[in-house]
Amino acid sequence: MAFTVFFVSAWLIISIFAIIPKRLTIIENSFIFLATSVISINWTWIINEELKYVKITEDPANYAGFLIFRSIIIPTLLMVQLNLYDHSSSAMKKGVIFTVSVVCLLLLTILSRVLDISTYKEWSLGFDAIYYVFLHFFSIGVWKLIRKTTHNEVKHS
Amino acid sequence: MNFLWQTFDKNEITILILLTLAYTLFFILPYKFKREITWLLMLLGFTIGVFFDFTIGGGLIDFFTLNDTNHYELFDLCYYLIFAPFSYFFIYFYDMFNIHKKTFIFYILLWVIIGVSMQWVFTKLGIVEFQNGYKISFSFAVFLTTQTFTALYYELIRSGVQVLKRG
Repeated sequence: MAFTVFFVSAWLIISIFAIIPKRLTIIENSFIFLATSVISINWTWIINEELKYVKITEDPANYAGFLIFRSIIIPTLLMVQLNLYDHSSSAMKKGVIFTVSVVCLLLLTILSRVLDISTYKEWSLGFDAIYYVFLHFFSIGVWKLIRKTTHNEVKHS
Repeated sequence: MNFLWQTFDKNEITILILLTLAYTLFFILPYKFKREITWLLMLLGFTIGVFFDFTIGGGLIDFFTLNDTNHYELFDLCYYLIFAPFSYFFIYFYDMFNIHKKTFIFYILLWVIIGVSMQWVFTKLGIVEFQNGYKISFSFAVFLTTQTFTALYYELIRSGVQVLKRG
């Protein structure tokens, strides 16, 4: 069940990314996907495997659901969020997009607990919320850095 | 749990030598690509290394251990940092030798052989230790996937964006 739910979620978020107007260039989207993947993979490894704050399922199908969430859903959702974020004209709209994106990740995290993918040991949803907020700010930081670099290079050429 | 290293011996020394050689070559080679393309190629290599290692080299699948232990340590990170310049070199020479449809397969195969050979050397030096039925021949599938993906991704980028430095 967990595998199906997360596979469908990944399909949905990739489809949304495919149909939304892209405000970021392919280079910027690539940077966001790759940089947030690295953070997501390292974070889950340190929290789950090194510190053992969260126990991940040993059922192969459910574990595949965990991998899809960690390596596909999280980075793709952050790309979607940034494309919509840049498309928004007002700070209010930007704030709403940011919040909806964080809430989506939290709902999927709750779902992963309900479907027995993960079990909290010394962890809470609040910590995950802080992590997701950080991840969103991180992705915005990476995007601004790349845009600034690209802009400077165009100016100097 | 030690976040630096389990024991500082030949695998750590080899990683340091390889890191030094790879980044020296990176700085020696004339800059070819625009700055953001160089960063992107480096990040792509690093991410691919991290992705495969944490997916098939850890967790439930756990096909190999890195640097004497299953725990994450400083030299694991150094190991992944080697992937970054190699991804850059792969595309650097791809562009330099003007790889096209007729030479694409040979170029990929050459790099796959280099990659698998390096991994074999890493097993001899104790950097990588296979387990749970993993065989070196499986790495052909991994490198074929990563190198083909990297080359096709570069073609996609090149088709829509100016990748080379002007002048």
